[in-house]
Amino acid sequence: MNMRFRGTIIMVVFLLPSWLFAQDDKELAPVTRTYAITNVTIIQGPSRKIDMGTVVVKDGLITAVGKGASIPPEAIVIKADSMFIYAGFIDGLTRAGVTKPKDENKDKIKDPGNPPTDRAGINPQIDVRNFLNPSDKSLEEIRNLGFTVAQVVPYGNLFPGQAAIVFTGSRSADQMVVSSKSAMYSELSGANNVYPATILGVMAKWRDVYRQAVQAKTYEGLYASNRSGLERPAMDRTLEAFYPVIDQRLPVIFKSEKIVDVSRILTLKSDLGFSLIFADLKEGWPIINKIKSSGAKVFLSLDLPDEVKKDDKKDDKKDPKKEEAPKAKTSAQLEKDALDKRKGEAIANYTGQAAGFQKAGVLFGFSGMTAKSKDIPANLRRMIAAGLSEDAALAALTTNPAQLLGLSDRMGSIDNGKMANLVITDKTYFNEKAKIRYVFVDGVMYKMEVKEVKKTDATAKAEIEGSWSTVTQSPQGNSEAKLTFKKDGSSYTGTMSGGMLPAAVDLKDVNLDGTTLTFSYTLNFGGNTIKIDVEVNIDGDTLKGSSTAGTFGSFPTEGTKDPK
Amino acid sequence: MKNIFLILFASCFLTAAIGQVEKGSVLIKNGTVLTITKGNLDNTDVLVKDGKISQIGKNIAAPAGIKVIDATGLFVMPGIIDAHSHIGLDAINEGTNAITPEVWTADAINPFQISIYHALAGGTTTSHALHGSANTIGGQSQTIKHRYGTFDPEVMKMEGAPRTIKFALGENPTGHGRRDGLQPQSRMGVEFIIRQAFSEGKQYMEKWDTYNKNNLIKGFRGMPPAYSLRLETLADILKGKIIVHCHSYRADEINMVLKVFKEFGVKKLVFQHTNEGFKVAPEIAAAGAMASVFADWWQYKLEVYYSTAYNAAILVRNGVITSINSDSPDLIRHLYHEAGKTQKYGGLTDDEALSLITINPAKQLGIESRVGSLEVGKDGDFAIFKNHPLSIYGVPQYSIVDGIVRFDREKDPGDMRLLPDPKETIDVTFHDSDKYHDNCMQGVESLFGSDFNDRKN
Repeated sequence: MNMRFRGTIIMVVFLLPSWLFAQDDKELAPVTRTYAITNVTIIQGPSRKIDMGTVVVKDGLITAVGKGASIPPEAIVIKADSMFIYAGFIDGLTRAGVTKPKDENKDKIKDPGNPPTDRAGINPQIDVRNFLNPSDKSLEEIRNLGFTVAQVVPYGNLFPGQAAIVFTGSRSADQMVVSSKSAMYSELSGANNVYPATILGVMAKWRDVYRQAVQAKTYEGLYASNRSGLERPAMDRTLEAFYPVIDQRLPVIFKSEKIVDVSRILTLKSDLGFSLIFADLKEGWPIINKIKSSGAKVFLSLDLPDEVKKDDKKDDKKDPKKEEAPKAKTSAQLEKDALDKRKGEAIANYTGQAAGFQKAGVLFGFSGMTAKSKDIPANLRRMIAAGLSEDAALAALTTNPAQLLGLSDRMGSIDNGKMANLVITDKTYFNEKAKIRYVFVDGVMYKMEVKEVKKTDATAKAEIEGSWSTVTQSPQGNSEAKLTFKKDGSSYTGTMSGGMLPAAVDLKDVNLDGTTLTFSYTLNFGGNTIKIDVEVNIDGDTLKGSSTAGTFGSFPTEGTKDPK
Repeated sequence: MKNIFLILFASCFLTAAIGQVEKGSVLIKNGTVLTITKGNLDNTDVLVKDGKISQIGKNIAAPAGIKVIDATGLFVMPGIIDAHSHIGLDAINEGTNAITPEVWTADAINPFQISIYHALAGGTTTSHALHGSANTIGGQSQTIKHRYGTFDPEVMKMEGAPRTIKFALGENPTGHGRRDGLQPQSRMGVEFIIRQAFSEGKQYMEKWDTYNKNNLIKGFRGMPPAYSLRLETLADILKGKIIVHCHSYRADEINMVLKVFKEFGVKKLVFQHTNEGFKVAPEIAAAGAMASVFADWWQYKLEVYYSTAYNAAILVRNGVITSINSDSPDLIRHLYHEAGKTQKYGGLTDDEALSLITINPAKQLGIESRVGSLEVGKDGDFAIFKNHPLSIYGVPQYSIVDGIVRFDREKDPGDMRLLPDPKETIDVTFHDSDKYHDNCMQGVESLFGSDFNDRKN
């Protein structure tokens, strides 16, 4: 290409109107916005089922539901024989699709006791719409699980800003928004080494700012009624953001994981009197009645503590020859058993939280803010196994959040006139083997790629030979390391590099038992050597497990196999 | 064992479900009752009904269905009170500003901390959950009752206990100032900070008084003074609504505070640590201030070198209401030993020594009408000992709060956690003896450099 010609192109590109330029990136709009999903089991809502029916979607809305629904000629027909269709799920609190602002302002604050309000975390006037990114991967992740609508909030501490309710897929940030300023978001977390740094300062600042807002609002009212002879009220966007909260037109949604959080939030509510949404609640099970009587709205966390691995079975495997009468346990073993038992009970309590709320008759939804997306379906199944009814689980994903967020007229069930937010699965959603085939968000179809399950021999061993990239989470931060394994006869050898290691080290005791891989290595740490024992489970090209550093504790390790 | 667990946890859930302070009834039979204020009573019964002592006497008939504790051969004393502790708190210092009276440790109560149960195992039933000493005017503090078993932080608060606040002098707050290049960096600076805060609080109070007065006039229209929780709290100190607990070591700084407080008319004052209190005991007594001290801790930093184990006794003999505190989740388990040291160093009588951990700290917290001695009408809080509590052989057997047994040596399973962390794996061989160490500066140690971590408060 000659230079002059190239120059012309560049010029033309720059001169083109930006809208034209932008359009080039976009996929073509579908030829029709009408769809008919036929021969499908329609779960209109909890306990509302139509066998072998049809759902017609047109221009973003559900226009017909039932057995005899006629199929418009322009419709794309999805033959969903033996499939199930649900209303799209609603996530009560997440940051999916929200961009984390780059920490550009890292200037040292001269007086940590009096930081600028934004650094203190007092940003209630900020609108999450400024940070929406429809192509964010996290949005796709939850959409692939069936979530079609989510309440999203900005990043930050104390008062990060205003929440919005958004679709989990759309062409632009603005089009994502179902409703803006759906709640004011708050987190009882402190600022980084500036006031308020601790829960003490956070609680005080909450009361202080709120009461200042009440005072400012009252005075503005007085001023508006008769301005003559009155000093002009100061304008303050921070305080103005509280006015609808003070009027109870706008609720405050709190991240409220722990019992102490709930208690502190209820203290603020009783001191100040605002309407309240508890979200991402994890430890609510001992205080259900207190939460119920507070009248607050509730979104339970979809995050659950990991289940305890069954050590006993493995021990049996390792020592198959030992068949003598079991020896009396040592006091350390007894203590460990007792501790494990209590840990198991604790996990069961967290897992049973949703069932407890159902039993107590509290209407609740779910929130995925701190849950790993890939764990969510399994966590829902664990809650169901712990006593939550499938209907209640479905309600918590659909009708309940719609009601709690004031959106029941538009979503939450498969009914004529509601938004076309739909989930189509090949088995009932809570079935372990269910796969999502289609998700409709605001009438737009997303087809899921269903990978055929490779038929693997149950006795086949995992293949570890090759190179792996791993990450271990420790209190010092994430440590990334490379693992390389080689087959040596029937056993394996390996090396590890990266992480906290100055040079590559050989792995000791590499042992692959079925899909369980164990090995160890030593780490020099401030003159001391620490032996790290690693135990991971191999699942195809991924590994997951933990690294145990003696008495320093155990840290999660995950990794993927590098492509050859 | 299993049944014990079940009973214990059933009672926990009951408390949690009710969300209110649980009160119990109990009859303690035939013990040696150390009333503290009204002498010792041999072979005497104490009856608690619905959390309050309703009768003290011989051969009290047990009301139907009441729990009875046979205290034959045991010593029954009021629940021990610690006027300076930081247990049961998720945060201790909001050390980012020299003046933070608006913060309040009640907001940071964590009822799940095992240290609360450990304190009960040492007979301590009430403690003062103090803000730390990182800043000159620290946070408001909360008197808590050790109702271990509740899931509700609100239930930990001693209902009706007066408001208190932490002030701090000397090395801790000046170290903070020097770190950030802010005031205070010296003892002079500390005095200035207190004067400045009081002056601002006074101005605020006067502005609001004027506004409120004008507001009563019909037709008045005007802008109210800008609300500030910080200034409002300072005004409340000046109005005498809050007891000041002032972290202090040296005699000069104690004198300074006495002078400044007199100037601003602030009367409710308790010195904490009061390491050189023995030098200015008459002055403290004359001002009506009180003192809370360690039995014999010393030399953990420069300002704590001029020390004596006779401090408590000298203060007592000079008429200062004195208490011995723990400032530590370890010492809080054996404050009776700490009190006993004053008999070796200073020859205090049994009642005087026990007063240091009962009625005197109660006075310092403004709760002496409720706790601190065994009298009809007071709260049913007890520490029941095998052997005299001031004897080196004294061992707590029961701790009772509001008539409810919260510690029973016979029913003391190894794992008393209320809310185990479902993500935590505890290694049975892991014994971290350094875990509890220095709470007074918790959360801000890193700001002071590593050498600080070895220091006491």
